[in-house]
Amino acid sequence: MLQFILKRVVIIVPMALVVVSLTWGLVRLAPGNFYTSEKKLSPAIEKNIREKYGLDKPVLQQYLIMIGNIVRGDFGDSLKYQDQSVNEILWRTVPVSATIGILAYLLALLIGLTTGTLAALKQNSSLDYGSMAFAMLGQSVPNFVIGPILVLVFSLWLYWLPPARWNGFLGIANLILPVVTLALIYAAYIARLTRAGMLEVLRSDYIRTARAKGLSERAVIFRHALRGGLMPVVSFTGPALAGLLAGTVVIERIFALPGLGNVFIQSCLNRDETLILGIVAFVSVLIMFANLAVDIAYAYLDPRIRY
Amino acid sequence: MKRHCFNNVRLGLAIIALSVFAVGCRTSANSRYFGETVPPTRNILRYVTGPEPESLDPQIPDGQPEARIFLALYEGLVEYDPKDLHPVPAIAESWEISRKIDEFVFHLRKDAKWSDGKPITASDFVYSFRRGFAPETVSRTAELGYFIKYAKAFNAKSVFVKKNNQFLLAKDFAPATEAKTNEPENNKSPENEQAVSSSAIAETEFHQFIKSPDRLVVSGDEKERAKAVEVNPALKTALEDSEFVPVKGEDIGVEAIDDYTLRITLRQSAPFFLGLLAHQFFRPVPQQAIEKYGKAWTRPENIVTSGAFKVKEHKPYDVLKVEKNPNYWDAQNVKLDEIDFYSVEEQTTILNLYKAGSIDAFSNHMIPASWVDEMRPFKDEYLNFPEIFTQYYSMNMKKPPFDNLKVRQAFNLSIDKVALAEFRKTQKPLYDLSPPSISSEYEKARSAVSEELRLKSNTSPEEWANRNHFNPERARQLLAEAGFAVQQNNNAYTCPSFPADKIALSYNTFESNRLVAEFVQAQWKQNLGVIVPLKNMEFKTFLPMKNAVDYDGLALTLWSADYLDPYTFLGLQYGISNNGGSGYYDPKYDRMLDEANSELNPQTRYEKLARAEAYAMNQQPFIPLTVGSTNWMKKPYVKGLYPNPGTLHSWKYVYIERDPSKWDSNVENIMK
Repeated sequence: MLQFILKRVVIIVPMALVVVSLTWGLVRLAPGNFYTSEKKLSPAIEKNIREKYGLDKPVLQQYLIMIGNIVRGDFGDSLKYQDQSVNEILWRTVPVSATIGILAYLLALLIGLTTGTLAALKQNSSLDYGSMAFAMLGQSVPNFVIGPILVLVFSLWLYWLPPARWNGFLGIANLILPVVTLALIYAAYIARLTRAGMLEVLRSDYIRTARAKGLSERAVIFRHALRGGLMPVVSFTGPALAGLLAGTVVIERIFALPGLGNVFIQSCLNRDETLILGIVAFVSVLIMFANLAVDIAYAYLDPRIRY
Repeated sequence: MKRHCFNNVRLGLAIIALSVFAVGCRTSANSRYFGETVPPTRNILRYVTGPEPESLDPQIPDGQPEARIFLALYEGLVEYDPKDLHPVPAIAESWEISRKIDEFVFHLRKDAKWSDGKPITASDFVYSFRRGFAPETVSRTAELGYFIKYAKAFNAKSVFVKKNNQFLLAKDFAPATEAKTNEPENNKSPENEQAVSSSAIAETEFHQFIKSPDRLVVSGDEKERAKAVEVNPALKTALEDSEFVPVKGEDIGVEAIDDYTLRITLRQSAPFFLGLLAHQFFRPVPQQAIEKYGKAWTRPENIVTSGAFKVKEHKPYDVLKVEKNPNYWDAQNVKLDEIDFYSVEEQTTILNLYKAGSIDAFSNHMIPASWVDEMRPFKDEYLNFPEIFTQYYSMNMKKPPFDNLKVRQAFNLSIDKVALAEFRKTQKPLYDLSPPSISSEYEKARSAVSEELRLKSNTSPEEWANRNHFNPERARQLLAEAGFAVQQNNNAYTCPSFPADKIALSYNTFESNRLVAEFVQAQWKQNLGVIVPLKNMEFKTFLPMKNAVDYDGLALTLWSADYLDPYTFLGLQYGISNNGGSGYYDPKYDRMLDEANSELNPQTRYEKLARAEAYAMNQQPFIPLTVGSTNWMKKPYVKGLYPNPGTLHSWKYVYIERDPSKWDSNVENIMK
């Protein structure tokens, strides 16, 4: 097991460097530059900028400098937001995205697992059909539709909740709408996964054995069925959590939240190379660790899996 | 089970009914205003200026959102008038201008202080200007100050040429083709020689140097110099066996005569320079903080400011809070205790915040076109005033078919701009290079010149007034004259010979750009029978392509004035590599502008500019489309915030009025 984990961790670094290199290539291929704006720059000013940021050096040399800096964990300063370093921006924005993401995921788990399990237990009942119809709806209506509708009702008609902005980690009122909007989609997905997983497990032999042993229905479901039925949810959780930590662009823009997703989009539009590479490196490592965590969780949940 | 479901439905219905009731109560109570209208309990203004500021260093960003923030944090020699943006005294109490309008002496107020209490002196300005032009600062707005003598040379790392211990002079090596560009020496007569005369300012060594004939400046780069020699062989002898002396910050035309007297010397007459000085690039930066903290000087804990406000807190991508600066010279007249600048970009999010009463005002053009009709009726809040933001279509004049004047004119005349402006809702039609909103004096000069040209051309007043207006008949005629005959069948026009598939109308991806492009496309189809394909591109992809005139057909150009003078628009077509995006270059036009700008009498200058504008318009380098009008809102309790043509606010005059009887009603009268 330990060997497996070590192997996976070791491979993460080169993988991330490959991702960063590809991203760097794409940024360089994209037309335009971080300093292009509506007004044409005089050649002298453009030359000054290119010298300052080393853009006058040979491309290979620029690439090696970039990789060297990333390996040392020095992402440099944002090219556009010159007062801030990339590390600083990551430190400031990731917690915001993570707060929203984790709260949303917890809420989604709560709603999704409950409705999914109930639907599986009462298969083909109106409860099953009702909750699955709701899940379908939740999954197919994009969050840029749900978000504004919630804002319209709760902020602009009822004036109960603020329509946007971040008010610190304890600004609960500001958190409610983005968290609920984000949770609804994941809840729908989790509900469907749970239902499918549970239905499969409930029909399996070991559940029949458990029932035959005379275990109470509660013990059958919570101790035996859920463990197996949750496997699809677990494999979904890894990438979903990584995605949520990395910020959700749409939610952060609609609700004007200072999170990583918002910054990421801006950095791409600004051709802010250092910031783009920093975020890509961070997110790719995060996703790889999340996948590793999922694999470890598999081994824990399913006795048949051994590494 | 069934019964249970029914109960749920009933519960749901009840909730909906209750919500609708609550909504009804809320809106009817406040229907005069848009949403919550409750003044904040403190003297605080909550404002959305746009995205996160690039930097708090005024010499770095070039955008409007930051410009508004800098108006709170830094004060310049002159400030913008809150209503019409003309330059008014600020740190400079008074000034004198030389007769040639190429030298300015500013008398600074003695009570101006930095937010750390240190007095602001003339040497602070000298430091700031030198820093702004220093190549390592990489200021993108430095070009605005290239009028200052040797500023461009310093910024471009150029060198003076020294031979036999003597600096060579520019006039001795002027290439034949450039001799006409009116180098200051060429027309120097004794009465022009005199600098600022009225004040009894002692002559200094620096002043003698800066007023002496222009030194020869060449590139600091050897390869570039070789290129220059190719263009101008006269330089060859000059550059051989010479010593190259880098142009330093100390060489630029800025001098602190004493602590409170600052002299700025320009390389040419620039009547609009005073207005330009209110730009953020020319606002002083704190030497004491920059030298102590280096790059980190803009951090909230280190930053020192010169304006009415200082930084209280900065949470990037969220909010910048500024508070009243007690050391500001006019602090007793600053009414707000705090301004919160929120970074929000989504237009609907901004309106949501405004409706919910979370912000008190927001910056220009944040109301989506589809909402404008909803917002207009709020007469106490919606601001619709002239501004200096123009839209054109540039045409690639280097390639067929737009290298043909008649084609350009036909495409211009076939657009109904009145209809376009109505369609855009917040725009007015534009027929010239510069908008009428820039200055009423220029407007007068322009109509005088226009009348004169009319008499010369022997046309009736009516015909003349409509010469650039929508005229599909004439447009088809012009297109036919250019060799692309327009055919009419069943009330529809076609123009089979026009190579419409070879051109496109390019614009950067943005909702309103698309709407305009589709509108204009329909007009050309209807009136000329030409279907121009549309091509939308991401902003940073679009710009380099347009700037290099590397497109086929037409491309969108948006322009907002840097300063309140027609030259900011006319200059778009000045020089061989200009911002116009059409590839237009006409030495005669450049000469006309140069002549106008060395004119001492403002009215004559305007007339000359108007003549140049008319000259350029005859060649139709642009299709002028529309000029914007302001499109923003403020709560009625926010007073002193005026819809000036650049949406650049003087925050120190803004206050929160708690007495509803004194609130703004009908903002149409706000400028009176």
